[in-house]
Amino acid sequence: MILDVERFQAQARPRWRDLESLLASLESRPDRRLQPAEAERLQDLYAKAAADLNRVTHGSLAHELRQYLERLVARAYAELYYSPPTRSEIWQPRRWLRIFTAFPETFRRHFRYFALAMLVTLLGCALGGLAVHYDPASVDVLLPADYLRDPGQRVHEEEQGQGRHRNTAQNEAAFSAQLIRHNIEVALVAAALGVTFGIGTALLLFENGVLLGAVAVHYTQRGFGLFMTAWLLPHGVFEIPSILIAGQAGFYLARLLLHRREDRNVRQAMREWLVLVAGLAMMLVWAGLMEAFFSQHHAPVLPYGFKVAIAAAELVLLTIYLLLIGRRESSETRPAVPSVNK
Amino acid sequence: MTDTSSSRASTSAELTIVTPEGVLFRLPLAGPPSRFYAMLLDTAIVLGTVNGLGYLVHLIFSKAPGFGLMVTTLAEFAIGFAYSALLEGFWNGQTIGKRLFHLRVIDQDGLPLRIEQAWVRNLMRVFDALPLAYLVGGLSVLSNSLMQRFGDRVAGTLVIRQTPIAVPEDEFWMQQKYNSFTEYPAIAMKLRRAATPELATLIQDALRRRRELAPYVRREIYRELAKYLQTEVSPFPDELVERLSDEQYLINASDILFRDQRAWRLQL
Repeated sequence: MILDVERFQAQARPRWRDLESLLASLESRPDRRLQPAEAERLQDLYAKAAADLNRVTHGSLAHELRQYLERLVARAYAELYYSPPTRSEIWQPRRWLRIFTAFPETFRRHFRYFALAMLVTLLGCALGGLAVHYDPASVDVLLPADYLRDPGQRVHEEEQGQGRHRNTAQNEAAFSAQLIRHNIEVALVAAALGVTFGIGTALLLFENGVLLGAVAVHYTQRGFGLFMTAWLLPHGVFEIPSILIAGQAGFYLARLLLHRREDRNVRQAMREWLVLVAGLAMMLVWAGLMEAFFSQHHAPVLPYGFKVAIAAAELVLLTIYLLLIGRRESSETRPAVPSVNK
Repeated sequence: MTDTSSSRASTSAELTIVTPEGVLFRLPLAGPPSRFYAMLLDTAIVLGTVNGLGYLVHLIFSKAPGFGLMVTTLAEFAIGFAYSALLEGFWNGQTIGKRLFHLRVIDQDGLPLRIEQAWVRNLMRVFDALPLAYLVGGLSVLSNSLMQRFGDRVAGTLVIRQTPIAVPEDEFWMQQKYNSFTEYPAIAMKLRRAATPELATLIQDALRRRRELAPYVRREIYRELAKYLQTEVSPFPDELVERLSDEQYLINASDILFRDQRAWRLQL
């Protein structure tokens, strides 16, 4: 059969134009809801355009026309088969507030990845701590920053208020923002390193652990244990768990990628990864504020006992939040799989 | 998601989708250069917004510069991520830069991307940007047949090229009113009978791609085609052919071949 492309085009052009204008009006709607009549018309025009495309698909015939029709069919296909989120899902503030309960729920659901992250970090801590304990000279290798190597001088500077940060509210505010930003960036990298099948995440956590263990033992050996506890814990009780949660998100992502074919509900999994990241970001905001405004004040101003007590209270609240808030997890109350996803 | 109902395959530069109805279409993928330019533009827009905001904050917090700095630092950080994620999520996979460069992020099944996919692929930027200048992401794009960076692989998205294409218009040779070949109906009929569908398509294709061919090549092809028709298929009188260019010869032949048969008879 000789297909007269010109005549074919002339006949079909009106319905292509129709489809184009229908698509333009649908695509400009943010919620992408279809009226029944529109859906019917879209289905009809889509079927016709697809049939037209099939007619010009074979041979080198009418390259431009084929491209045009492919584009048109692709757009119509996307509109027809996409199930848009409902308006309420996007705009109801209540749903946004649900992050505060969804975070601990997700945390508990994937607790084994958290345990894994904690294990890796503890191994790092043990290595760092033991290395410094048996070979104090290793501090030079393990602790990169000069200011960490000489606790005596550092403590003196801190207590005199001669540290890097002058303790005015102004500087503390700016400092807190930098801390928040830096910490969230590091945590995000840890969570994203899941794409290296978790190896990158593990390395990052391990390195963090080594550093932590080395500093702790180093300062304790020199007799500054209390100072260090009071210095690090008020923000550390949030900062360290949030890095662990970042590791949890990383390992979760790694498992997700390794089992992609089996895991049918990728969308739900992605959402849980996002919830973990959002939750740890909130924790890091608090940690940053505490670190800048509270942790940097030392003995004469704030007694160490008081600081440690605050840290302990924070830890209790955090534990309660992470373990008790939200729906109780049991085998029957797994989150319902949205049916549109199947 | 829709792996069960539609299948996909890909070549070096396009994504092929087979819909449940058995329709096959291809989407051209966007290469690294255009994506990089779009990203530069978006970065410029974000930096501009942040700096403008910073100036405003500076005015408001002139008595408390520390707090001003705090607000700017955090706003810069949040806007950096939220800009792409929110625009892509709510604006059908396009940021301002992507729109200007005719790029669009879509789900790898050919559907619009979802808001959580937009967030995931943009948060994964921190990994793709490692160690500097998007080296990891760039390597991922070059090593992947769907040109996905790691963020795209995790989120199941890809970036397509979407230059606007207008409805193909009538070709110029359709508009000629008089065809000198109709003066020789017997020879014209012979042409119609003798031409195979392949030959007819070849002639029409050669004319259609007139503008794509280099002038020299075009002359060669047209001359050979016209010569073939003249010697092997339908020898029109020399005094007519001498007056016609090879291109006009082909236009006339195509007109004879494709014209609606009934209209042609009436004209005869």
